[in-house]
This record gives sequence, structure tokens and C-alpha cells, in this order.
Amino acid sequence: MSRLTLPDPSSATSLGRAERWFAARGWHPFPFQREVWRAYLAGESGLIHAATGTGKTYAAWWGPLLEWAAEHPDEVLDLDAPIASGPAARRNAAAPLRVLWITPLRALAADTEEALRAPLVSLGIPWTLETRTGDTSPAQRARQGRRLPTALVTTPESLSLLLSRSDAPELFADLRLVVVDEWHELLGSKRGVQVELALARLRALRPGVRTWGLSATIGNLEEAAEALLGVGERETSARIVRGVEPKEVVVDALIPPVVERFPWAGHLGTQMLPQVVAAIEEGDSAIVFTNTRSQTEIWYQAILAARPDWAGRIALHHGSLDRGRREWVEEGLRTGELRCVVATSSLDLGVDFSPVDRVLQIGSPKGVARLVQRAGRSGHRPGATSRVTCVPTNVLELIEVAAARDGIRLGAIESRPLVERPLDVLVQHVVTVALGGGFHPDELLREVRSTRAYSELRDDEWRWTLDFVTNGGEALRGYPEYSRVVVEDDGGRWVVGDAGVARRHRQSIGTIVSDAQIAVQYLRGGALGSVEESFVARLKPGDRFTFAGKPLEFVRVRDMKAWVRKAPNAKGAIPRWMGSRLPLSRALAELLRARLDEASRGIYREAEMEAVRPVLEVQRRWSHIPRVDELLVERVRSREGFHLFVFPFEGRLVHEGLAALLAYRIARLRPITFSLAANDWGIELLAPEEAPLEQAIGEGLFAPSNLLEDVPASLNATEMAKRQFREIARVSGLVFPGLPRSGKTARQLQVSSGLFFDVLQRYDPRNLLLSQAHREVLERQLESSRLGRTLERLARAKIVITTPKRTPPLAFPLLVDRARERVSSETLGERIRKMQLALERAAG
Amino acid sequence: MSAADGARIHVRGEELVLLPDRAAYWPARATLLVADPHFGKAATFRAAAIPVPAGTTEVTLGRLDALVSRTGARRVVFLGDFLHAHAGRAPATLRAIEGWRARNGSLEVLLVRGNHDRHAGDPPRELAIECVDAPAVEPPFALVHYPAPAAEGYAIAGHLHPAASLVGRGRQATRLPCFWFTAEYAVLPAFGEFTGVATVEPDPQDRVFVIAEDQVVEVR
Repeated sequence: MSRLTLPDPSSATSLGRAERWFAARGWHPFPFQREVWRAYLAGESGLIHAATGTGKTYAAWWGPLLEWAAEHPDEVLDLDAPIASGPAARRNAAAPLRVLWITPLRALAADTEEALRAPLVSLGIPWTLETRTGDTSPAQRARQGRRLPTALVTTPESLSLLLSRSDAPELFADLRLVVVDEWHELLGSKRGVQVELALARLRALRPGVRTWGLSATIGNLEEAAEALLGVGERETSARIVRGVEPKEVVVDALIPPVVERFPWAGHLGTQMLPQVVAAIEEGDSAIVFTNTRSQTEIWYQAILAARPDWAGRIALHHGSLDRGRREWVEEGLRTGELRCVVATSSLDLGVDFSPVDRVLQIGSPKGVARLVQRAGRSGHRPGATSRVTCVPTNVLELIEVAAARDGIRLGAIESRPLVERPLDVLVQHVVTVALGGGFHPDELLREVRSTRAYSELRDDEWRWTLDFVTNGGEALRGYPEYSRVVVEDDGGRWVVGDAGVARRHRQSIGTIVSDAQIAVQYLRGGALGSVEESFVARLKPGDRFTFAGKPLEFVRVRDMKAWVRKAPNAKGAIPRWMGSRLPLSRALAELLRARLDEASRGIYREAEMEAVRPVLEVQRRWSHIPRVDELLVERVRSREGFHLFVFPFEGRLVHEGLAALLAYRIARLRPITFSLAANDWGIELLAPEEAPLEQAIGEGLFAPSNLLEDVPASLNATEMAKRQFREIARVSGLVFPGLPRSGKTARQLQVSSGLFFDVLQRYDPRNLLLSQAHREVLERQLESSRLGRTLERLARAKIVITTPKRTPPLAFPLLVDRARERVSSETLGERIRKMQLALERAAG
Repeated sequence: MSAADGARIHVRGEELVLLPDRAAYWPARATLLVADPHFGKAATFRAAAIPVPAGTTEVTLGRLDALVSRTGARRVVFLGDFLHAHAGRAPATLRAIEGWRARNGSLEVLLVRGNHDRHAGDPPRELAIECVDAPAVEPPFALVHYPAPAAEGYAIAGHLHPAASLVGRGRQATRLPCFWFTAEYAVLPAFGEFTGVATVEPDPQDRVFVIAEDQVVEVR
């Protein structure tokens, strides 16, 4: 393989061109941008971290432009001449694919393309630049199928699809640079692992290709760089470049006027609406961030109802909306036509648009880094401060706002824990590579182990993976009708032979993150976006719901589309999307405990704590406010049974694991059935009879010992692994999302992941996808390392048990939580005899 | 057979025994009623390169053997969906069913066709399984696949793979496969190993029996 010829990075003309282009616009390159350009031209790869909208895009983009200019001095326009449009690149004459730009959200692709296009045009670089995502039209797709543009903006899923093409090796033959935008968003997810594998593939197909990641500042940048660049022998060295210093961030909150009358918890709707509207009125433009897509819909409706005169000047933006709608919103923000956009993280990422005057955050930000990121959307001018105003959805959230401000002051920026060797993603990737020209196992193993995620992949896990994709694994040996990947007779390459396998695999590549999506479309008119199939499944014709900010009436499902018509007014359900609840970060959890400790000593610093004081005083009178070295346990008796509330303040994920563990340990003492709830602050164990709490504490309820036995056992007592298996089954191709042309054959292959889980447990208990489900629940879901540390802390804590007459404020949100796990040491027969048929739906 | 083996229910003057192994026995006719075995479903998946582990067919047939010998049934009626799909007629699957038939040569076997049977086709002739379209009228019952009132008698059906949702004090909840008796028809649980369930919503006057491991328990 020939080495790339690199232009001399020291040559003055290389960087000079960029300097002049910036100067012509009255800009100056930042020192970090120059550093990246030089490094790129010297053949280096690296990671750039800085706040949103500080020039990361051009830091990465100008390297390949300067490289081209140096290679083609005659074709590039003289920048000293008046700026003119260069000749438009002709598709077939343009250079083949040189730059791949990977973006985590389809919603960002259009903005990115526009930002990248500006210098291309004025420099007259004859490149084609296009986007390829799930939104790309079939015609465009077909054109790209014949020839890819010189620079391609795409998503991880679309990149994997390209790698599954049989001509993949030729497609990337001239690739120089892969940019992974918003790397921190992908990191720590299976999509991030999918990107790691794709990058390893690209490095194998095209040795010497450079990789640059763009990231917000996170706590574990070294690991982030390693995941991006791989751990194998690198041809290029890794460099971590820090961008512009962050601006000063101001965090404040809208304080409810009468805290005592404000509900303590639960979903409060939009009680703070008047204050939110007033805050929006303070400036010419505003973004209202919410934590979930459903909340976006709710708040959009509420603001519009409060200010009907803003119709047409406010909009909503989230990742499930149709591309055309999102683009209209982004454009409106740019031109200043929109005075307010209600959005999810689909707008806190991405390339620049002009900063807005006001940024509001509905609900707790749940993490320090996330709040800083969102604040960055205001006051983009250099030196200006960023300000974000938090809007509590319950009184207690004000404490999290105060804690987040402490976090910014202390620079407590969170790390992103990484995913270790998920075999479902590997199974999917191996089939992808088998489709994309095939592989030799030893070569592919070296490549896979060069990623950080699979650097510790064991030999037996690799053998199992190969076995699984060829003959279905141990339990299927000798089933001639089964074959997914086959070994070619000549040359011994592993390939996919069957067209049906190929088609189903390509259809399932894009489904790592979500359930099957159904497009929502007007009977007469355009597409609105997509919602989860499970939401549509609950609708009956004539039902009303709200989506994309529009009141709609459901008509029918046909051709994998939910057909709707306009409804006269907004009422009925709002779609919910899975996986939208973020847990409280560890850094924020610790700061929260410190704030409560102060409150327990009567110290209420700053407006938020002052405001929440009356509620915390109720907590103190009815029960107790825990100090940092205490663990509060409340026992409350109600009509529902006996409640135990425990408050470790460690975040929901840790609490889910801890709840199962505590329930399991108590249930060992005598037959009892618990239903469990967990939130970011604590745990509820609810049983029809009183639990032997003192005995359990005496026998080590909170002891950090025996975790290796107790944690998996408690996990088996719940359905957590089974639920985790949903995603694994989808990624590894065991179950399929609803297929666009669901004929009879497809229907015969429909099965729930839960049934698959049960069948594997019974008939193939050593299947590694099952152990992966358990491992994922332990490591990712429950953050088991954090669980161990939590128990060590709790073991040292002084346990304070109170028996309040009524449910105190801290426990209240748990009481109303409906999502529950169960742990029982009774036989099924015993339990059934105490239960009744759930008749409410039939009766209601 | 003792009462502990199942729950007894009287329908239109006839006694039925609801068995924890997801089938019903009709003593007066020495007949075992079995809904939705879905033989060859795993093979259908394997043919599409989806790795379902081996063994589900053998276990389903083994349970059927045990039921026949325990009840002393002289006849088995399948209430539809005997074979899952045409692609599931794998040699190994058909051999296993032949083995079962050979072990139970004197058994009379009837299949009331269901929606899957139409596409999958009737079982091979050598299996000596009589195949009819619904209803098979056997007063006071009409044996069918789709649950619906029948003019010919009280309908006994399958198709739904019914499960009941249960709740209790202390926010307990669970979901279990069930037998569901309405005023005009009954729905049996799916018999096959590799079959899922669907939650049904019975009316208050219906009778529902859930399968809790080795017991059949009536719930209200």
C-alpha cells in the first residue's frame, strides 16, 4: 500500500490561503485552528474539544481543503482576487470520496453541509458535497450509489450501510479524512461502538486515513481519544487539542411565587408558564430546552395557548420531526423570524447559528456538562457570558439547579463511561463486513481488537461470534437450513450468500437506538415526522393526539404510515419516546448531597435554596433531612401497604440496582413480595405486609460484601435483563422492526424479544447474548462499579430511621412513580391467590 | 387423573379439565383439546437465518406424550395452527412429529384448520391426521380456531394465545397464560413452546383460569 504524499506543512502558502480567506471575512483563525491544520497536514489524527459554536467545524474542515489546494495549485482560485463563485463541480468529473463527516443526528446534517459549503464555493474547489442520512431521497441515494460525492456528511448508521456494500473497498480508496462530529454524544453508547468498528474498518481499507473527532469538553478526554483513534499500532499519532476557553456561564432559576402551593413532585405540567413567557419576552429570541420530546410538545402547546399572537413565530424542534420541518425551524432561528423554539438536545448540538438572547431549561439538567452546553447557545459573541435559566417542574428540582451551579463553579465536568465489547454490535458488524466484500477471520480479529471497545475481546468470545453468524451457535449445530454467513470455497473468505439475509440485515442496521418508527402523514399533505410503533398501536381511528405541535386525529395505519387529519383543537395523548430519561450524574449527585447537608444545618444559600426552604422544613418536621454521613430510611404505612423509602442520592440507575439488591436481601429472610420504584434521589420498597427491616439491617442489608453473588441473584429476581435484551435482540438481528413491505413471510418472522429471551434461557443458556444482557444491566444500566462504591459509602453511614405519619416531601415523587420492578420470595401460587384480574381497562 | 392435576369446569353440562400444561381434557369423549402448537416455527426462523435454538419441537411433543398418557386420552383435537409456516416444514421437524405419531399409533387425531395452516399446508398424509375446516361440531361444542360465537354450539377456540393481567395490594402485578371462558366461547392458551402471549381483557362475568407454574387457578 503506498503512503499518502503530504504537502509540506511548513510551507507558507498552505496556511496562508486559509488566513486570507478568514481575513476577507474580517475573521482571524484561532490558534487552535492553526494547530489542527498543521497537525492534519503533517498526517496526524486527534480530538478537538471546545464549547459548541467556537470554530471546531472549520478547524477540522480546512485541513483537507488546504491539502487539496497544495496538490492542485492551478485549480484553486486566487484569493486575492475579488471573491466570486467558483465553477460548480460536475458530478462525474469531481474527485472521488475524500472526506467523510459523521454526525450523530440527522437533524444536524443539513446545517453541517451548509457550513462546509461556504469555503468550497469561494475557493472554487471543484468538490461535490452531499448528505446521506435516513432522510435522503431515494433518487439522491441512487445517484450516490453510482458515485459518492467528494465530501459526504452522514450518520453512523448510513456509514455502516455503505460498509455493507460489496464494493466498499473501492468506495473508500481515496479517503483522506474522517471527521466524527459531537463525538461525546456517541461515546458511551452502542452507536459509539458502531462508529469505533466502522473507523477500524476504514483504517483497514485505507491505511493512513486521518481521523479527527470534535467533542464538547468531558472528564475523560484521553479515553475519548483512544476510542476514536483505536488502540492498535497507529500510523499517525494522537493529539488532543483544546479549543477556545469556555465563556463564563451564569445559571439562575425561575422561582415559583408560592412554593407551599406548588406540587412537590410528579409531572407538573406547565405551572411556571407565566414566568416562562415573561422570560421569553425579555429578549428578541429564545430557546426553551426540555429533557424529552414529549415535553417539547407539551410546552410548545402551552406557550402558544398563552400567546396566540406568537403563532408562526414560535416553533418546536426534536429529532423525530420530519426533516423539512426541522430545516424550516433552523432557518427561522438563523434569520431571526422565530422568536422562540422549544427543543430537545437536537438543538444543543451542532454547528453555529446565531446565538439567542435567552436560553431556558425546563426541568433539571441532570448533569453539569449538559447545562454548560445548553447555556452555550446564548451569547455567542466572544467574551460574552452565557446564561441559562432553569425552570423547575417541581420544587425539589431547585436543589439540583443550585447543585449544578456549584458544579460549574468547581469545574466538575462529567466523564462518559465507555461501553466494553458489546457482542450484539459485533455480531451486526461481522455480518456487515461479510456483506461488504467479505473477510478473513484472523485479519478481522486484528482489526476488531484495534478498537478500544474490543481491545479486551477474548478468543472464546470471538469464536462464539463467528460460530453464531455461521451456524447459529452451539445449540444449532447440524441445522442445514440455517446459514447467515458462509465461507467461500475458493479463497476462504467469509461472505453472505443469501439475498434475504442481506436485505434483512441492511434493514436492521439503522435500528440500534430505537423501536420501529412509524411515519406520521396527513391524508392530504405532507409528512410530519415519526413516532414509535407502540404509540400508534394504542390508537383507535378517531383518537386525537398532538404531534409536531399540531392537533391531529388518527385515521388509520397503512403502508407503515400513520395517516392523520387535522383536529380542531389540541387534546388527547402526546407520543412518548423510549430511552429519554437521563439519570442524575455522579458529580451532580454529590453536590446535591452537600446542599442537603447544609440545609440540615439550617443553611440555605442562594435564591433556589431559599425558595425550597419551606418544603425542606416540612421534611425536617415530618422526618429528617439527611447529612452527607447519614442514610435516611423512612417507613410509611398507607392503604397500599408498607412503604420503605431509602435515600442514597446516587442517581436513578444505581438506585434501580440497589432497590433490587435490598429487596432480594430482605426477601431472603421470609416470604414477601416487593414492588420497587427508583428515582434520582432514592428508592421505594413496597409490600403488602411489613418488611423485617431491623433484622435485615442487622444481617448486613447495606453491607458491601457478597456483591458478586447477591447482585446477579437480585438481578435474576427482576425482569431487568429481559428488558435489556430487547435492544440486544434487535442489534444482533434476532428480531426485526416492522418492515416496510411486511408480507406474509415477514409476519411469520415476528416474535417478541421477551419470548426469544425465554427460549434462549431454556434451550441455549450459554448463549453469550444472554450473558451480555446481564452484563449490560450490571455495567451500564446499574453502573455496578458505582453500586459497589455506593454501598461502601452507605456501610459507613449512620442509618437514620424515621416513621412519618404521612409521606414526606422527599419520598413523594417515589410514591407516585408507576414504573415498577418486582422481587418476590413467595411462590407464584401464593402470590396469585392474593391478586385479582386487572379489569379497569375493560370496565372503563 | 386426580383433581390436583387441573381445574374442573362445567360448560353446557359437560365437564372439562383445564391442565397446567396448557391444554384441556374432555373426559366424556376421552379427548385432549390442544390449541396453537405452531410446529416448525423455530425452523421457519432458522430458514431465514435467525438462530432459534434447537429443542422446542421435541419438548412440545414430549409434553403432548405426557398429557396423553396421564389423561388416558384416546383422541387429540388440535384447534388450529398445527404448522407455523410453509418454510417450517423442515425434514428434522417433520421427522420428530412422525416419531410422536408412531409412538401414539392408536390415537385418533383431528386438526381444525387455523390461519397458519392455510399457508403452511396440512400435515403430511402419513401422519394420519384428519383435517377439517372449522367448525368441528361435537355437541354441545363447536371446535374452532377463531374465538367467536358459533351457531352450532359453545365454541372452543385458540388463536389468541391469551394471557391475563393480574394486580394486587402493594402495587403487585403479573401476567400469566390463561383459559378464558365467556358466555359463548372459550379460548385455550397456546400449547407450543415457541409461542408468545397476548393480554386479553375479559368482562367481569367471564371466567378466567391462569396457569401458575404447575397449578391452574381461577382468578376474578
